[in-house]
Amino acid sequence: MSTSTITPMPALPPVGRSVRAYFAPVDRVHHLPTLFDPSVNGRFSVSAPPAPWIALGWIENFVRKSASKFADLVTGSPGTAQFQVRQTVDATVAFRFKAWSKLSMALAAGSQHMNLIVPASGAAPNGSGSKGVPPVNLTAGSTATFLSLAASDAAGFSAGSLVTVDVDYAAQTGYVGSGVYAAYVTSAAAVNSDPDYVRRVTFNVARVTSVVTTGSAPGLTLAQPLLAGVPAATMRVQPISGFVDREGGSFFQEWSALFVIDGEQGERILFHYPRLQSMAGPAESATALASPLERIALDATFRALPVTDANDGEQVVCFRSFLPSPVALV
Amino acid sequence: MQNAKDTFYITLRSRLATVNPARVMTLRSVSRPGILVADAEPPMPQPILDAFSLSWTGLEADLQLPAILVQMTCEIQYSTAGTVLNAGLDRGRTLEEMDYEILKLLYPYSAQKMNYAQNPAVAMDTMVFWSEPQFGPAVTLRDRLSRSVRVTVFAFQEQGEL
Repeated sequence: MSTSTITPMPALPPVGRSVRAYFAPVDRVHHLPTLFDPSVNGRFSVSAPPAPWIALGWIENFVRKSASKFADLVTGSPGTAQFQVRQTVDATVAFRFKAWSKLSMALAAGSQHMNLIVPASGAAPNGSGSKGVPPVNLTAGSTATFLSLAASDAAGFSAGSLVTVDVDYAAQTGYVGSGVYAAYVTSAAAVNSDPDYVRRVTFNVARVTSVVTTGSAPGLTLAQPLLAGVPAATMRVQPISGFVDREGGSFFQEWSALFVIDGEQGERILFHYPRLQSMAGPAESATALASPLERIALDATFRALPVTDANDGEQVVCFRSFLPSPVALV
Repeated sequence: MQNAKDTFYITLRSRLATVNPARVMTLRSVSRPGILVADAEPPMPQPILDAFSLSWTGLEADLQLPAILVQMTCEIQYSTAGTVLNAGLDRGRTLEEMDYEILKLLYPYSAQKMNYAQNPAVAMDTMVFWSEPQFGPAVTLRDRLSRSVRVTVFAFQEQGEL
């Protein structure tokens, strides 16, 4: 039997290149965030996060701020601070998304994020998109990456197009959207009883890579799996051309977040915010490339909301984990 | 990156054939539009007059994006001695013609990336795009007037692309 030994180095300052961001849905109805356990998944591959975390790539200008307030308890004469108390627990985090996508745009905008449904002929213009073309029904056999359609319906789509897939709005109130709660409906009247409303706000969107209109399995193959997984039979499909968000709105996106910095010596720093809500409206900033070209990034600022740590019942808003280098003293 | 370089060159060459069909050169016994890539031709003691020569110099890459964004510096050099008919006294005018041609060759500032290693060439998924030109000063060397223009060319590396 042999054992290997190491010659430990002193604790070294972490040197990292950048920050990667991952987000996961919060069950708004049951107030259940997605919790990340660093003791279980701390060393996950950055390109393959554990489910249901969604990788949103590198971010920049990452700034965490503690806004917790402290007060002292003064006794005696002259008064002397004898104890400290936490008056408030508060924290914010800000950064820039380098890449634009449905999810990064929605997170940065903070409010309802809408899909631009391809408009019906003659529909009245509207800032967040007009009434859409009629949706088509799914048929049996759909998966998260394949939408089974009637051949005649599939023929209405083309490879490269974008689709939204979700149920009809049927006068329900509360959170709507499959997979991720995308909006909160206070009354059917508020959304004009629009049957397309859920598909207008849902995160269940994808790009079509190929269309099959013949044979025994016509339908659309998707480039990415639907966020809600295998679509329900009641879901319907509409083409979309892009996305729109607004300054204003009453809804707050809420997501669980995880930020990872990998150090050059094998260490890893993780920041886990179980509940983040946007605290700023949509904004962007530009980074000069070569005049006049600029790279446009999405600015995002969030407030961290509390969860209860099951280990000791404390209310906290963020967890910072450090997984040391394999050879460093701790 | 080579696909982006090839696309940039072929785009400019195709545009030159339209902008000024008369600007041709004979190189290796072939008459063709007056634009070449220096590293794809034999070394030359002197630049070819009245033709555009592309040299790839700087290279940077942004690796922290979903696809690598490469940024390549292309220096376009051109020289003229004017025309024989005017005993070279029109070399300022001919340089100005080439300056204006460069502006027209570079606009629009993007092109569909193509893979010219295949025959016929295959359109790729992304666009190659470039900055507006930065003109260097006109340089006089005996009977020649020369100028160098710097353009930064950008392209996203696609999956499986060399």
